[in-house]
Amino acid sequence: MKRRGRGIACMWYPIGFTVDANPSAAVVKVNEDGTATVLTGTVETGQGSLTVLGQIAAEALGIAADDVHVVSADTDVTPMDTGAIASRTTYVTGNAIRLAAENAKAILFETAGPMLQVMPSQLEARDRKIQVKGFPQRSVSIGEVAKRAQVGLGRPPIGSASWNPPTVAMDPETGQGKPFSTYVYATQIAEVEVDDETGEVDVLRIVASHDCGTPINPMLVEGQVEGGISMGIGFALQEEMLFNAQGCQINPNLTNYIMPTSLDMPEIVVDIVENYDPTGPFGAKGVGEPSLVPTAAAILNAIHDAVGVRITSLPATSEKILTAIKAKRAGERKQVPA
Amino acid sequence: MTDEPKTLTRERIAVGDMWRYADDARSLPAAVPPKTLPSEPLVPQPGQQTLAVGQRVTRPDSRNHGLGRTKYIDDLAFPGMLFAKFKRAGIASARIMRIDTSAAEAMPGVMAVLTGNEIPVNSFGPTFQDQPVLADPIVRHAGDGVAAVAAVTEQIAAEAVEKITVDYEPLPAVFDPLEAMRDDAYKIHAPNSNIYASKVVRRGDVDKGFAQSDQIFEGRFTTQMVEHVPLEPHAAIAEWDANGRLTVWATIGRITLARADLARTLKLPMNRVRLIGTFVGGNFGGKNEISQEPALALLSKKAGRPVKGVFTRNDEFISSTTRHPFIMEYKTGVTKDGRILARSVRLILDGGAYCSWSATTLGKACILASGPYKIDNVHSEAHVIYTNKTMTGAMRGFGAPQVCFAYESHMDDIAKALGIDPLEIRLRNVFDEGTSSPTGQVLHSVVVRESLRNAADRFGWETRS
Repeated sequence: MKRRGRGIACMWYPIGFTVDANPSAAVVKVNEDGTATVLTGTVETGQGSLTVLGQIAAEALGIAADDVHVVSADTDVTPMDTGAIASRTTYVTGNAIRLAAENAKAILFETAGPMLQVMPSQLEARDRKIQVKGFPQRSVSIGEVAKRAQVGLGRPPIGSASWNPPTVAMDPETGQGKPFSTYVYATQIAEVEVDDETGEVDVLRIVASHDCGTPINPMLVEGQVEGGISMGIGFALQEEMLFNAQGCQINPNLTNYIMPTSLDMPEIVVDIVENYDPTGPFGAKGVGEPSLVPTAAAILNAIHDAVGVRITSLPATSEKILTAIKAKRAGERKQVPA
Repeated sequence: MTDEPKTLTRERIAVGDMWRYADDARSLPAAVPPKTLPSEPLVPQPGQQTLAVGQRVTRPDSRNHGLGRTKYIDDLAFPGMLFAKFKRAGIASARIMRIDTSAAEAMPGVMAVLTGNEIPVNSFGPTFQDQPVLADPIVRHAGDGVAAVAAVTEQIAAEAVEKITVDYEPLPAVFDPLEAMRDDAYKIHAPNSNIYASKVVRRGDVDKGFAQSDQIFEGRFTTQMVEHVPLEPHAAIAEWDANGRLTVWATIGRITLARADLARTLKLPMNRVRLIGTFVGGNFGGKNEISQEPALALLSKKAGRPVKGVFTRNDEFISSTTRHPFIMEYKTGVTKDGRILARSVRLILDGGAYCSWSATTLGKACILASGPYKIDNVHSEAHVIYTNKTMTGAMRGFGAPQVCFAYESHMDDIAKALGIDPLEIRLRNVFDEGTSSPTGQVLHSVVVRESLRNAADRFGWETRS
């Protein structure tokens, strides 16, 4: 008989390295037409980080995402970056790019001040214009300002900056310290169906509510969460590297190492918790790794809710679940008085 | 948006396809690329918006991915390029007595063969430099590389690898981390202990907390070893110029560290190494350090030609990093109404043959192990142990998925025993803004309570006890 169950799991997860410095540096160049180029040493690993980093530069310069081109990952060209690791790209590299863009913008403001006959401190960059705060009808296009700065004044609007998350070393005896600058939080709830005659689990639905600070690009946050859940399902139910007695892996191939496919994916509802972290670029933190952290726990709790067995070793294969169901039934039968 | 020309001009083809020689491009018919290919995104609106943050901007790489035009390592080729293959040990613990590469070298089409003793500095690693590029002379897991071949085709390289013979003196091996922790266990990196890193987080007094508790719960949880299984396996190309400057194209997530490791293993000044990170076809933590790159560079130097290496799926499983298997012991003291007073956690991590990112995984797991809960008395300790298995390293979550599986399973067991709804018991214990974490850090931008409520609302969670 197929039995349904639900399971909940929440988590916390840090952004960046544990105590150790993990800086990023960045260069932002505003072109003579008001578009911009960003140089970053991080690498696009499929998650869409370059899109997010371009949006951060665009926001800081008051231009649109399409106006920014991001050049990445060439040690001859791009500045130092700790890289695509530890869910740090949006937070750490994003902060470096935001600061570099601010530095380029300062040159634009100094150039635009005399053009608009106000102090540079009275200016803001918005909608591809440099405009007077509180009096937006006095404005000049960023392209015009950038061209004046470079061609007229000989001061190309280029900014560079670096950023490193502030931490405090942990005491070796007690572990007391501030190992990370910030953390994200999440909850996932899974609904499963377990066949109590075969032990087979079907994950029907997962609701994932994730904190990432400000979602710079909500579509990419959803993509990360959906991808993380697929990885979490594999971790919970299917994947395992198996070794023989001599220490050689016996399933080093995708025929015998079973992973979730599109057919194993449940209905997924992604909720982005409203939040703003003042230490992140425009309030952003990160979401890359946390997306899979609570998935296995939620599924295992749902299996327990469905058929009353607690699987304590991953993966919860059908064999393990069926064995546990049989053991539970045998135990229940034994309790019947003779 | 500019109007697209109906047909592509020859100049546009030359730019769009980045052919090396414009003259070649001009001689090709204009029909080669799809005629309808626009150079502007189809849905430009989100990318045109200011403010830019918060927009559902289409990725600039998505059209290239969708049209199959993204250039991954395997799509790159250079004139005269060779292909590398690696000989894997196939034995988990041994001393290499002799490697005979003569039959491989004699094969037509084999241009270079490399063994560990030819590598200038044959060690690397982000924390401890305990991992060889090619094992020499000690093999510590079955996936260790022992030799590499560069040949004019992949097939010849693979055949040449089969012709390399290695004489091993088998050494004792240990695969179980609990066994490897014992004083009398075989030391995989002698004379060092197999317990290669430890971490403790202590707050309050757990014994006092347990004494004050109405009930104490215990649980033991274990997790398995898994692979990242990126669609694109580890891949790289190495090429030298006439000045002895090395360029490596690699599918790697951390080019700054990778360049430092390459310069170190090859004994080159950093300014003579250029590392270009190509689009990574899936990383998940598995491509955060060098692997075959120094060997490819040396094969290329020997052969005087560019060398490409692409891991087979077998290489990917047996010789790249994996997720740490955990053994987790939890003990939790609670009041009748489900408030946690004390929690002790002991974590044993199977670290495999080399350290890689184990120290980071250990630290994060230990810090996160007690969960996002206000607990005045916490004791977490974690140890990572060498075994003669595939090395474990960075993988999405750095130990957090393992401890979350344990602390959340444990939490549900406690809730059930106390007759409290699983959502409710979490709401009674979770962090709030300004909570002091187990390491004494005052937390900010804390929304775990909101995430619980949002998820419950969206799921339609009905409280039951």
